[in-house]
Amino acid sequence: MRVSLFGALATAVTASLIGLSAIAADPIRIGLVSEITGPNAEAGGYTINGAKLAVEEINKKGGILGQQVELVVEDNQSTNPGTVLAISKLGGRKDIPAIIGPIRSTQTQAASPTIAKLGIPTMIGGTDPSLTRVNNRWLFRCRPNDLYSSRVIADFGVNSLKLKKWAVVHSTDAFGSGGSKALTDALMAYSVEPVLVQGYTNNSQDFTPVVLAIKKSGADIIGTYMTNSQDLGIFAKQLRQLGVNATWVGSASIVTDTAMKLAGEALYGTYGVADFNPDANDEAKAFSKMYRAKYKLEPDVYSSWAFDAMNVIATALNGAKDTKPENIRNGIVGLKNWKGVEGIYNFDEAGDGLRGYNIVKNDNGKVAFVKHINFEK
Amino acid sequence: MKSLGGLQTTASRPRRFSPWLFLLIPAAAAVPLIPYATEVSHFAVSMFMQAVTYAIAVLGMVVVLGYTGQINLAQAAFFGFGAYGVALGTVSYGLPFWVSLGMGIGVAAIAGGILGLTTLRLGGHYLAMITISFQQIFDLVAVNWIAFTHGPDGIAGIPRPSLFGHELADDRAYLLLCTLILYGLIALVWWLPQTRLGRAMRGVRENELAAEVTGVHTLRVKVTAFTLCAALGGTGGGLYAGGFAYISPDNFNFTRAVEFLSMLLLGGAQSPFGGVLGTTLLILLPEWLKEMPPSLQFIKDVYLAIYGLAVILIMVFMPEGLWGLLRNGWMKLRSPIPVDTSNIPQLDLDIAVTETTPLLKLEGLQKFFGGLRAVDGIDLEIGRGTVHALIGPNGSGKTTMLNVVNGIYKPTGGRIIIDGQDVSQKTPHERAGHGLGRTFQNIRLFAAMSALENVIVGAQRKNNPIEPGRAALRTRAMSALQFVGLAYKADTIVRSLPYGHQRLVEIARALAGHPKLLLLDEPAAGLNQTEKMELVELLRRLRSGHGLTIFLIDHDMGLVEKVSDRITVLNFGKKIAEGAPQEVLRHPEVIAAYLGVGPANGAA
Amino acid sequence: METLANNFQVLFQGLALGSIYALVALGFVLIIRATNVVNFAQGDFAMLGAYMMVACLVGAGLPYWLSFVLALIGMGVFGILFNYGVYYPLRHRGFLPVIISTLGASIFLQNTVLAIFGAQPKRLDNVIQGGVQIGSVFLDSQYLVILAVTMVMVAFQYFLFEHTLVGKKLQATSQDKDMARLLGIPVALMIAITFIYSAALGGLAGVLVGPVLFVSIGMGSIIALKAFAATIIGGFGDVKGAIVGGIFIGVIESFAAYYISVPYKDAYAFMMLFLVLVFRPQGFFGEKVSEKA
Repeated sequence: MRVSLFGALATAVTASLIGLSAIAADPIRIGLVSEITGPNAEAGGYTINGAKLAVEEINKKGGILGQQVELVVEDNQSTNPGTVLAISKLGGRKDIPAIIGPIRSTQTQAASPTIAKLGIPTMIGGTDPSLTRVNNRWLFRCRPNDLYSSRVIADFGVNSLKLKKWAVVHSTDAFGSGGSKALTDALMAYSVEPVLVQGYTNNSQDFTPVVLAIKKSGADIIGTYMTNSQDLGIFAKQLRQLGVNATWVGSASIVTDTAMKLAGEALYGTYGVADFNPDANDEAKAFSKMYRAKYKLEPDVYSSWAFDAMNVIATALNGAKDTKPENIRNGIVGLKNWKGVEGIYNFDEAGDGLRGYNIVKNDNGKVAFVKHINFEK
Repeated sequence: MKSLGGLQTTASRPRRFSPWLFLLIPAAAAVPLIPYATEVSHFAVSMFMQAVTYAIAVLGMVVVLGYTGQINLAQAAFFGFGAYGVALGTVSYGLPFWVSLGMGIGVAAIAGGILGLTTLRLGGHYLAMITISFQQIFDLVAVNWIAFTHGPDGIAGIPRPSLFGHELADDRAYLLLCTLILYGLIALVWWLPQTRLGRAMRGVRENELAAEVTGVHTLRVKVTAFTLCAALGGTGGGLYAGGFAYISPDNFNFTRAVEFLSMLLLGGAQSPFGGVLGTTLLILLPEWLKEMPPSLQFIKDVYLAIYGLAVILIMVFMPEGLWGLLRNGWMKLRSPIPVDTSNIPQLDLDIAVTETTPLLKLEGLQKFFGGLRAVDGIDLEIGRGTVHALIGPNGSGKTTMLNVVNGIYKPTGGRIIIDGQDVSQKTPHERAGHGLGRTFQNIRLFAAMSALENVIVGAQRKNNPIEPGRAALRTRAMSALQFVGLAYKADTIVRSLPYGHQRLVEIARALAGHPKLLLLDEPAAGLNQTEKMELVELLRRLRSGHGLTIFLIDHDMGLVEKVSDRITVLNFGKKIAEGAPQEVLRHPEVIAAYLGVGPANGAA
Repeated sequence: METLANNFQVLFQGLALGSIYALVALGFVLIIRATNVVNFAQGDFAMLGAYMMVACLVGAGLPYWLSFVLALIGMGVFGILFNYGVYYPLRHRGFLPVIISTLGASIFLQNTVLAIFGAQPKRLDNVIQGGVQIGSVFLDSQYLVILAVTMVMVAFQYFLFEHTLVGKKLQATSQDKDMARLLGIPVALMIAITFIYSAALGGLAGVLVGPVLFVSIGMGSIIALKAFAATIIGGFGDVKGAIVGGIFIGVIESFAAYYISVPYKDAYAFMMLFLVLVFRPQGFFGEKVSEKA
């Protein structure tokens, strides 16, 4: 009996040793919360592509802390509750030092309390400015927030194009209403009061009332924060059909591949802000080349931000020497003049990394880089 | 079978203390304690929290759909009322959690009651649509009324409540609290069918018209069901808000409402356990699908499609849900306990006949359907303690007249006076409360309920002169069943009874209410000769000195002649003859009406 | 002048969208009449039809009219499958199980199409490019086509039901199945035909609306809800009512969005529905039915 008990004990010890060594050889696992199912599954696919490309590159260069990197993808079903569950599921695994979180502001907002509780550094792409201002130390934004997009739109329209009669059109979701408010504020800073601020709910089938209101207002420039590409497409078509020829500077969605495909020539000549443009800088050019080679697709912001987020995590982890959250945080906040695809990152204490946007133009269906506008603060 | 728009329904049988409870209760008690005993991931706790709060909302659906048979596709909105109550109360207005929760539940209940009121005029598809509209409007307001609801951003930083000075910041403690609330509500919903209200609900589900005529205030029952359903939804939502600290409108949209419905149907609409089972399974299902082995990973991409397919398959193959399957299996294993028919007191049917005025008096009664004059100015008096028959050819307006007397139709003109009281404008259940009992030509029983439960619904009519309390109701119902000779079948589900017995149960249901006036619409229809003899014997027992007044329609002239004191003959909505059976049946105009020939020829 | 033109523009858009609601509502009504149940997947018929069109036109590169015909035939076949998969097994079980079954079908269809085509919305081109410009009013050619096709379909349906034997049999089936059976009408076949026709009709609506709203997974849901509201506002199960109800909703929401508030646009249809249900539950054209004891 004694022998067998001893034997069992020995086996257990060996097993646990093997277990330990297995852990040591384990790859570093980085979580990714993305939209695999639901209405935004399209964008989710791009995000996964971008993150995977970064992981491949990092692993080619020797991985993180000498170990290979593995991406753990969790579906959030394109919903807020789904995001909360996905984050807590990743957090529950205990072997994930950092997460690439959602790109949507509402989802980030939903998950923020959970992330704060878990204390896992999480990269976010939601551009609602308030996200990094809610006393959550673990959110790091790898995109410029909407204060900057709206400041860039306002600066470009007022100073470069010299247009002063603004109509602001926005969807009534968090992204749209937040953006609209920020744009109005930014315009006010140039002493320009919009002649029209008009909201609509996502998946509107008809924008005639909106277009007629713009027409009536006599606006010569339209600034938009629109969420869905279908809405953007319908709006663009009806705007042109009803003979409104005002200049149009839109938030990033106006230069997405989908929106440009759907709306076709109705969007020719419009301007958009884009945190990502394939020609904006050397990093972006290199990234785009790799992306096209691997996926036979044009890269867009969904893939570029995830690519940057993954690289920021890798850089911070390599600088931190271990996977303690506090050290990762210090590593991220310590990044200064770090060159990414989306621009030059300088993380502040709140967790915001970028402060500039590219202005691009829809040049007969091609996105042409116009200029990069960057703010110090 | 066709009740509840066709969802399969089962009776709730008398409960005996089951040895299973010894296993079930400790197991249930142990579940919320697991996180204390062993380390559980935050994810598992979140899933658990979701399951518990959703299950509370699904319990509401058990009440409204499972028990009362009313469709509700707005449960997510009620869930939302509770959640927004808590979120806005605590975050926007700084109120304590429990006060906010109470407000949320209150608003949900009021909204539910209002929605229930619409069932006054609308049922079935209309109700489905009106609840969908309500759900959509809720969603739009939550998204667009940003100043109040914070719009699509949602509301973050919802605090946890404290209880007896303990703040429930710990997930495990809060989960324990929610689970205990869930258990309490399961017990409540489980107990409900045994109550007056619960029986009335199931009566409405099984046969709304019969329930109304038997004395159930059907509108009030439906409103109550909706209110209760909404309050449970609100409770779930409020606890959800506290649990997740953040809410936004997309938690409470139509998709979620359909999800609640699917959970209910998967588990089984008839039982709170079914609802909880379905909720648990549907919350876990996506996770299981995601954890499939690599060869099955494609399922991950299509699991929502599979989910949709599963809903169809459940409807086709498991109409009673999983719990129904389990239950039926279990029931087959158990041998039924025979009904104790000893010591049943005799049925008290006595009505004191102290006045000589007629019990029922119709004055110039009219009922028109558009141009059709179904009842065209009838004057009629029925004496106390007599049996009065109404005969006439098909389509002469007999059943219509009964329906007008009963209150199913409002008269176009004229008055109905029962025992000196004008009831012309009263609803059927008010008339039942006034001592009016009735049976139908095409039997209208509560098919999925036991014979005893059917009869108890009859006994629980308003103003029934019996002792208060459950025991008296049951005794009264057993006596009524004994009177028609079916006490030994008390626990049998009526849809499995033979036709003749179903007629008798319907009569027993009417008698249990101790009526002054009993309306029998073709009681002999579909009965064989032996059964008819038994019916005649039963009718004779009914009239022998009890003071009960009976007004009946039948086509069997032999039966009519044997049992009635007086006969009224209708043709084309008009009275053509009235008097003692012998003379009326020989009246030339009556013979003419039946044979369809002129009075001159029929005079012989 | 400008105001008049604007009002005309708003009216035109309302009529056009209303026609789409009416087309889908027509499919609803036919199924309600034949089977007495509401098909909650009717909107997804439109979505499916549009995707079939995309598959033929863009995917396989077939010419427009061939793709159009193939998409409608495809929808007809799908109608048969739907009948035998979703309705037929539950035909004796009343309305509630069927309603739920069609809800399940809706979830199934949306996610199956998502798995096949992906979430990216697709573009379909107008049947005829351009449109008609009258002063400052612009009439989109696709909307004109939609209006024309709706009128043709209404006429066709009238002809089918009133002047053909099949139509008479369909009518008899919808009025009294038992009686129809006694008269030797193959009721099951008539119901199958109803599903085929109604699926094709839904598909037609999808193909027509695709160029305007783009082809996406969710395109059918919101149309279906409005169409369903239209069937009830018009009178439950009434063909005339479905058409008038659909156009009524289209016009009301168009004007309400213009004059009252754009973000609440989707709410107006439901408010109208609420009002109609409370004050005139039988709808515009429905007859008041009293319960028979």
